[in-house]
Amino acid sequence: MSSGLARQQSTSGASEARALAFLADLSETLAVSLDLRQTLGEAVNRIADFMDAEAASLFLLDDDGNMLECRVCVGPIDISGLRIPLGQGVVGRAVAENRSQFVSDALSDKRVDRSNDSDTGFVTRSLLCAPLATAKGPIGALEVVNKRSGGSFSADDAEILRLVAAPTSLAINNARMANELVQQARMRREFDLARRMQKSLLPKRRRGGFPLLGMNLPAHEISGDFYDYFDLPDGRIGFFIGDVSGKGLDAALLMVRTASLLRWVGKEGIAPSEWLVRVNEELCQTSLEGRFVCALVGRCDRNAQEVEIAAAGFPPAMRYRRGEFTEYLSGGAPLGILAGMSFDGQTIDLRDASLYCFSDGMTDVRDAQRRTIGSEGVREMIRRHAGASAEPRLRGMFSELRHLRLVDDTTLLLIERMQAHGPEVLLKRRFPARPENMREIRSLLRSALDNAGVETAIRDKLVLAVDEACCNVIRHAYGPGHSGDIDLRVTSEAGKLEFRLLDSAPAVDPDCVRAKPLGECRSGGLGVALIEAVMDDWNLQGLPDGKGNRLIMRKRIGDNGTSGEDQE
Amino acid sequence: MNGIEQETVEGRTLIRLSGEVDLSWSQQVRDAVLGALARSRRVGVVLSEVSYIDSSGIAALVEGFQSARTNGSGFALVAVSDAVRAVLELARLDRVFPIVADVDGIPEVTGAPAWKP
Repeated sequence: MSSGLARQQSTSGASEARALAFLADLSETLAVSLDLRQTLGEAVNRIADFMDAEAASLFLLDDDGNMLECRVCVGPIDISGLRIPLGQGVVGRAVAENRSQFVSDALSDKRVDRSNDSDTGFVTRSLLCAPLATAKGPIGALEVVNKRSGGSFSADDAEILRLVAAPTSLAINNARMANELVQQARMRREFDLARRMQKSLLPKRRRGGFPLLGMNLPAHEISGDFYDYFDLPDGRIGFFIGDVSGKGLDAALLMVRTASLLRWVGKEGIAPSEWLVRVNEELCQTSLEGRFVCALVGRCDRNAQEVEIAAAGFPPAMRYRRGEFTEYLSGGAPLGILAGMSFDGQTIDLRDASLYCFSDGMTDVRDAQRRTIGSEGVREMIRRHAGASAEPRLRGMFSELRHLRLVDDTTLLLIERMQAHGPEVLLKRRFPARPENMREIRSLLRSALDNAGVETAIRDKLVLAVDEACCNVIRHAYGPGHSGDIDLRVTSEAGKLEFRLLDSAPAVDPDCVRAKPLGECRSGGLGVALIEAVMDDWNLQGLPDGKGNRLIMRKRIGDNGTSGEDQE
Repeated sequence: MNGIEQETVEGRTLIRLSGEVDLSWSQQVRDAVLGALARSRRVGVVLSEVSYIDSSGIAALVEGFQSARTNGSGFALVAVSDAVRAVLELARLDRVFPIVADVDGIPEVTGAPAWKP
């Protein structure tokens, strides 16, 4: 217990009991409340009454920690909003020194700044001020002015004010933390909304032979990447893909602005180089505060025979044609840095080829050794999935990316001639008919079937059946006397999978290929029996002129097996 | 990776297979199983680390089983992985082979064809 109260104990036990009751009551009120404004107003009122003060006020330090502002006050003069620099006057001193200030004669005390008195006519005679502090340091001060009964405040009054300061500080601290939690929850909600809105800005997958397909994988809640495509007046298709520097909400807002600007300017159907010039001028007219935008814009015909592109600080576009890659480097600087820039346009022959445009998140993906996969890693990935149709191919690539360490948003836009309808190719592979190749084929098959959404248990059986079919080609069709390739193609259409194996081995008599009864403990003929058990049907035919054989196996897996979301 | 390990403890020979048993090396598996049965009269093939097996791998196990029956040796598949079990079930051989949880379950030597499916 304080020395002041202890001293008073002998003379005034009743007064001490009253003080304790007041403190307990006030602490309780402050402890249960999270509505700071109301509770503090009430508390300051009660403190003024209890201490028989003409006026009382509560000052809080601002966020910078340099100024104190009166947040609550009671008394004849309303000084709420009054700002006092840290260290000045009685209040400023109390906070700066983190020590109570006791002024018995304000008229002669140098600490007192009486400028406010002369403005208002109020006469400050005596005052008490106690600092408010938390574990992190001072947060403000409590001040009482002038005894109503005249005279000055006593040492006991000073002690009581110091005791009252503790629960007041706690209450302010609690309320601030509660407020922070509410803010955080609100931020989370808003981030979530922003993410959904961003996702809704990405174009919907268009079917029926539309030659563009995009996918986006954000590394964080909100992505700085974007892409879009739209119809041009001349029947061609305009498209763009971009990446805003930085991450977080401000990058996301710039992304939204740039994406709508690119769309607005691009809709006119102007040449890609001119398109970038105009968007750059517009972006440079307002400050981006050091941010910039990397983008690639272009247009192509609906059969994707020829594509024109121009790029600004964007990774090179990659053309893939029958195993060969060509890179198209971007000449221009990123958008939003310097007005008056020009950009070079390029025209790319896309017959029998695919164009991959991707943000740098794609090459910055880390492998198990934390090395970036780089442009070579992307090439390998494209090569690995080249046999599949556009959608399962991109799905396959993105499912690979998801297993690596993504450090940045990753966006990929594919441009190629696409089949309007007909089966979707899940896997196409030609390989030498040798047993040691089967392990890789099984692994490719598993991924292809995974990408098509085939259930694991069925997938494994299908892999077994295809393996058995290949092994039969290796062992019996080619046999020890011949060698050649197996051409494997897996397609999907309307929930039906078709596995087609072509070989160039001597014609096999289909009647000789028969399943042995299952469950029979014999080592031969099990392969065909397994195929029969797994597949719905199969059919073996000799190719014309006795040049090879064709085996077709089919399996229905249900319609939902191959469909899925448009964006990742 | 693919591998064959052999050990003989207290008169039991264990062949531990791992990896994907397929046509590229099932002949080695067959030789190992038949070789063990020629040397030992109580053989277990441990399949817990096998992630894939094709019909040629199954065939190697079938041959081992048949050879053991002919000679009255003890033979079993031990700790069969889910992947192997799925293929055995598909081939309806899961009730043909003696399948045991651990090495203690490998059948005793009988000297005569004793274990019948």
